[in-house]
Amino acid sequence: MRLVRDLARRKLRSTLTITGIAIGIMALVVFGSMANKMNALINGGSKYYADKDIVSIGSMFSGSFQPLSLSDVDKIQKVDGVAAASPSIDMMLDDTTTATMGTPEMISGFVPGGDKGLETFPMTAATGRLLTASDSGNITVLGSDLARKLNAKVGETIKLRDVNFTVIGILAPTLTAPDKDAQVTLVAAQQLFVKTLPPLIQSKVNASDIATSITVYPKAGVDPETLKANLKAALGSSYTVMDGKDFDALLGSISTIFSLVLTGVAMLSLLVGGLSTINTMAMSVAERTREIGIKRAIGASRWRIRREVVLESAAIGLIAGLIGLAIGAAMTTLFNDLGRASGNVLFELTLGTALTAVAFATGLGAVAGFIPAWHASRLDPVTALRYE
Amino acid sequence: MAILEGRNLRKTYRLSKRNTVEALKGVEVSIDKGEMVAIMGPSGSGKSTLMHILGLLHAPDPNHGPAPELRLAGEDVAALSDNARTKIRARRMGFVFQDFNLVPTLTAIENVMLACDYAGIGGKQARQAALEALGLVGLADRADHKPSELSGGEQQRVAIARALVNKPEIILADEPTGNLDSERSAEVLALFRQFNREHGQTIVLVTHDSEVGEACDRIIRMRDGRIRDYGQRVEVPAMAAALVPVLA
Repeated sequence: MRLVRDLARRKLRSTLTITGIAIGIMALVVFGSMANKMNALINGGSKYYADKDIVSIGSMFSGSFQPLSLSDVDKIQKVDGVAAASPSIDMMLDDTTTATMGTPEMISGFVPGGDKGLETFPMTAATGRLLTASDSGNITVLGSDLARKLNAKVGETIKLRDVNFTVIGILAPTLTAPDKDAQVTLVAAQQLFVKTLPPLIQSKVNASDIATSITVYPKAGVDPETLKANLKAALGSSYTVMDGKDFDALLGSISTIFSLVLTGVAMLSLLVGGLSTINTMAMSVAERTREIGIKRAIGASRWRIRREVVLESAAIGLIAGLIGLAIGAAMTTLFNDLGRASGNVLFELTLGTALTAVAFATGLGAVAGFIPAWHASRLDPVTALRYE
Repeated sequence: MAILEGRNLRKTYRLSKRNTVEALKGVEVSIDKGEMVAIMGPSGSGKSTLMHILGLLHAPDPNHGPAPELRLAGEDVAALSDNARTKIRARRMGFVFQDFNLVPTLTAIENVMLACDYAGIGGKQARQAALEALGLVGLADRADHKPSELSGGEQQRVAIARALVNKPEIILADEPTGNLDSERSAEVLALFRQFNREHGQTIVLVTHDSEVGEACDRIIRMRDGRIRDYGQRVEVPAMAAALVPVLA
């Protein structure tokens, strides 16, 4: 209580200092939440790709790929170390999809059960059911973000690339790519995909024979990296084989950039907030020179005076941290609500991020208090008493 | 018996590189337990400096010549660390200043409790002691007032309550009546005298005011950093004289 009264003695200065730190902490909370979301996406992908290899022609990520033939699947299944090879078609939900934060919306066609039970990435239906090997026709299972964006429910009919599909299930959130997928059977996807090819190629391919990638699961005890080498040797150089490490290398750099931005924001708020707190506390100590003199004279130890100043400074940090967190949390919630309509949920404020931000602000305040506290504790009581 | 004894006390202040002031030029002083002594002298005579050394606010200079000696109830305190001196100030001494020197953000009782806190007494016990001390100076009903809501005389009485609350052996007062009119000065002096007689507290007053000096048992007169006159202990009224040894 005394502490708050002391802060209230210089309302303007305390308010300005608190505002300064609060803005820094707010930025920290917003960027931190964004990084959380990014890391969830990347970790989800990293986990998905960790135990398998993906075969394609050209690069999946440059958009220059050519369709594979289902005969490639037979070829792959004969390669040493292969347990299962499952063809799939991945395509953009529509051609107008622009670059977004996170993963794009995709139509994902695959053979249910083609993984022979080897897929370890957990996927469950929140409502309805998942696709099974006996399914056929135009039915789809939607990822949670996509379902929210399309406002689709189980049993309803939606259009995928102008073709009607019945929604049979909606996935539980995975916090990564499948949240924005429309899962269909491989046969349905082949029909959709062939229409997107240039007419010249379209006439040459057999729709029921194409795939954009083949997911290869290694036999128990076979390293995906070893399998990658085997596949490359068997298929030749026109095929691209990616394993989990390639994926991590591709997306790890994004994660690094985010970490750097976050560190930059933290450093900036450390510098600005810290200096401003030092200034406020130094002024406060100067103003209270006489009071410190009295306290020292009647028996306050140097340690007591230091503690008093550091605690007050930490209180400035704590208040600023809580305000910054409140504004940051409000902003991420607002942005998420605005983005939800378009399926762009960019922020995830975790308890860890919230606690770190507040602890950081409090620590910053305390550390900034050390210099003025030291100065205050070294004052000579007699000189301080005479100070006007 | 002497409660405070000093010998070869010197203090030189360095104002700038070339300008030094010799505030105390080797002083020998002794103050008896239960005595109420005034230290008088013109400005710059070293009386405040002497009080700061007796009150352990400053340490005497370690001389080139004979080493300084300072004893508190027989114990050598001349060369104690800052921490040790602070502890003695908190537990065994009480201070009253000319400008009252209360903490402006704290109420009267909180100001008094501050002294308890520094002496290691907290909670209910501190509150009880503070209320009692405020009662002694006649301000129990003003306990929750801020200094700004009190008159000068009242503020000085709060400061006296703060000096008394830990029942210290010695109270040191630097011009305690300097900012008060004669009526309030008389009240403050009466309080000091009352504690001196009822509890046998040793009181050292620094003052300009000869009326204040006259009210004490003895006047030490200083000039130019030296003591010129140690004074004679005057006859105290018989009644009080009889009480001092009983209560001390």
